[in-house]
Amino acid sequence: MSGRGLRSPASAAASLVVPLVLVALAAAVGASGTPSFEETVTLILCNLIIVLGLQIFIGNSGVYSFGQLGFAASGAYVAALLTLPATFTALQTPELPKLIADAQLGPLLSTLIAAVASGLLAGVVGWPLMRTSTLAIPISTFAFLIVAYNVLANWDPVTGGSSGLVSIPRTTDVMAAGLWAGVAVVVALAFKWSASGYRLQATREDEVAARSIGIGLMRERLTAFTISGVLCGIGGALAVHQSGVLSPTTFYFAASVTTITMLVVGGARSVLGAVVGTVAVATVNELLRNFEEGSSVLGLISIGATPGLAAIGLGLILLVTMVALPEGLSGGREAGELEPIRRRLRSRALSRSPAAAATDRARPRSARGSAGSLRAEGVSLAFSGLHVLRGVELELPPGEALGLIGPNGAGKTTLVNVLSGFQAPDSGSVFLDGVEVTSWSPARLARAGLGRTFQAALPFAGLTVVESVAVGAMGVGVGQREAVDLAVNVLERLGLGEQAQHPAGLQPPGNQRLLGIARALATGPRYLLLDEPAAGLNDEECRELVAILREVIQDFGCGILLIEHDMNVVMDLCSRVQVLDDGETVMVGTPEEVQAHPAVVEAYLGTSYATGAHA
Amino acid sequence: MLEQMTDLAQSLIDALALGGLYALIAIGVALIYTVMGMMNFAQGEFVMLPAYALYVLAGLPFALAVGAALATGIAIAVLAERVAFRPVRNADLAAQLVTSLAVATILQNVVSAAVDARSQSVATPEVLSESSQIGAVSIPNLEILTLALTVIVLGGLGWLLYRTRIGLEMRAAAENFEMARLLGVRANRVIAIAFAISGALAATVGVLIVMQTGQVSPTMGLTPVLVGFIAVVIGGFGRIFGAVIGGLVLGVLSSLLGTYLPDGLVPFRDAIVFSLPVAILIVRPQGLLGAATGEARI
Repeated sequence: MSGRGLRSPASAAASLVVPLVLVALAAAVGASGTPSFEETVTLILCNLIIVLGLQIFIGNSGVYSFGQLGFAASGAYVAALLTLPATFTALQTPELPKLIADAQLGPLLSTLIAAVASGLLAGVVGWPLMRTSTLAIPISTFAFLIVAYNVLANWDPVTGGSSGLVSIPRTTDVMAAGLWAGVAVVVALAFKWSASGYRLQATREDEVAARSIGIGLMRERLTAFTISGVLCGIGGALAVHQSGVLSPTTFYFAASVTTITMLVVGGARSVLGAVVGTVAVATVNELLRNFEEGSSVLGLISIGATPGLAAIGLGLILLVTMVALPEGLSGGREAGELEPIRRRLRSRALSRSPAAAATDRARPRSARGSAGSLRAEGVSLAFSGLHVLRGVELELPPGEALGLIGPNGAGKTTLVNVLSGFQAPDSGSVFLDGVEVTSWSPARLARAGLGRTFQAALPFAGLTVVESVAVGAMGVGVGQREAVDLAVNVLERLGLGEQAQHPAGLQPPGNQRLLGIARALATGPRYLLLDEPAAGLNDEECRELVAILREVIQDFGCGILLIEHDMNVVMDLCSRVQVLDDGETVMVGTPEEVQAHPAVVEAYLGTSYATGAHA
Repeated sequence: MLEQMTDLAQSLIDALALGGLYALIAIGVALIYTVMGMMNFAQGEFVMLPAYALYVLAGLPFALAVGAALATGIAIAVLAERVAFRPVRNADLAAQLVTSLAVATILQNVVSAAVDARSQSVATPEVLSESSQIGAVSIPNLEILTLALTVIVLGGLGWLLYRTRIGLEMRAAAENFEMARLLGVRANRVIAIAFAISGALAATVGVLIVMQTGQVSPTMGLTPVLVGFIAVVIGGFGRIFGAVIGGLVLGVLSSLLGTYLPDGLVPFRDAIVFSLPVAILIVRPQGLLGAATGEARI
């Protein structure tokens, strides 16, 4: 399940075993209690499956969905209707198709069908919802929850309407719920550690950077949304076979709030957090519910019945968590990533697999052929009447470094945005190896061999250094194992091998810049567009950067377009320099020609260059 | 023919009145989103609590009860901002949304615990349940009031935002919060005032809903807040008058569907009303009025 190198086997094992042991413990405690206690624990375990479903989408995408309980509801209704005896369905849901009405399946089969049905529903519903923006998804999923409720509550002849269904066979015991919860833990971790999971986590950390390495935002979100729907459907199906009753409000707003609270309190980013949060919140909730019904503390103080008390407690816990502990009890880490366990596991230094080191596998894919070029033809662009680019031509063959210089506001970054698909030009075309790519998305261009970095480092702060580079290769479809080998190779080349297992977000600025380049290199680009890679580096680091880039050109054969204000870097590295001013190409030539050109010297390089003081 | 025209006029006015109500809801949500970038789930509770003020103060003169309801709305909004939202002001959108969900849950259930989880009926002034005859069309007074209030609030808000210093500060904060602070805009004051206005708007909506339904319940804010959210999304994020359009579209749509849907489908009206905006978002992810902005950070 875990790719070699992204984490040590011991760490992976700890991350998997600890939540599983917690689930087993909960089930064992439940089984040893009174029947009513056992029922409570069973329902909590069913809730845990739903919370793990939420974790898969919310935890990995960083986007809240308030609609996942709709899939728990669909799973519950499908499972209930498939297991209700025909005599009951005739009374409660007279217009149900005969095939379903007469069906009286066993618990396993009905749960599996409910899982498939909820997954399908999530896929169909998610297809449009995931196309809405990051800002809009919480709202459109909330709208879906209300739509689902509205349909369930009013489609009386099929769903039993607002009065719901009763006499559903109660077949879920604590062991069954525990087993399914264990399966859900494994699924959630397997997804988190899959290439798809990493791609989604990259979009959580930075949408723009994720697109630049080939990741299709909607596709990754939809995958997680669908898997999440499957788990929620299973949780709903098991829960309804525990309680025996079902109504449209069972999995509605209150249940949404409860499950989201569980996830957030534990820490949404980790599977461990989902488990810990569910257990912690459920325990507090049960205690408060006792008070709610009216009880006495130690036989001394008696408290009257107070409906709503448990929910107030839930709200307060959620509020305090958000204010004081936004990463939740787990800190967003898996068990194997927790400090005390990490210290024991002291991971060995990362190394490439011997097989990969010996073969060509760990080389970026760019080293194939050298024909073609990246070409811009007559690119023009205006923002609200302001001309940023006017008929710019540019040609970058593989294996060459082309410098792009010009004063601030000349249109350099905008040109890179046009070349990399982040900005559509008003007119003109972009060709990649002879194919017109003007309207392609950044992700598609990245998969076709175009890499880029940004002026800001845009790190995947929540991932480790090696993960944040490996995900670059995963973004363009490289398998996880190969991606890790490749990432290690690139990191060693850039002198970041030692940092592999450390958080990317905590690296010093110079390293973050290099990480941006490493991430782009991991996509195996034939053309690499670098936007001021030397900004903020000292002289020594600049020289190292030039050496590294030179190696990149020689070894990987890719073409580099370099926007840079540090003229020494440009003159050192580039064989040709294109000067841009006010959206127009002033000249293209060798560094020497550019340095000698009076207009360029005056407009851009300044008199210090003209007098040779700086050179 | 004349009768059909009258029917049409009647349903159009009904639709406009509902649209006006929804627009008032949406402005409250949009104002807070614009100024501090937060989608506020508790906006529904800012609607619900003033409605309960009417219920609790049922014996008082109506004008006094309405005044108390407005004060409740303003107080609860300002208090929620100070206690719960200020600590997460710099957190990301998701964290703020979940925080406001917590506030909503607490307020809702405090009312459940203090009053009752079930809905309670509230007496409304008779004059509001009567209708006025205008030409051949008879318009419920409540609809006239709603439409009048919508126009007054829109005008007042326009004046505030574009003709006063605090409005200028709010717009500056909406454009670039940090820059506005550097230029001397007092963030705490601007945000507190935005919440106060938003609370007053929500209270107005709460009072209008009670007048319409004669009922209060702890969950009565759920539909309004969803309406507000969707209106803001389809209007284009961060555009107050976009939210007005969004609210009008939703209200008119909902009202007309109620009138013209075949009987069998009427119960599913909400499902249809809340599904359609998603279609708008697929075609125009930036909303109806939102500009197709480029990548802001690159």
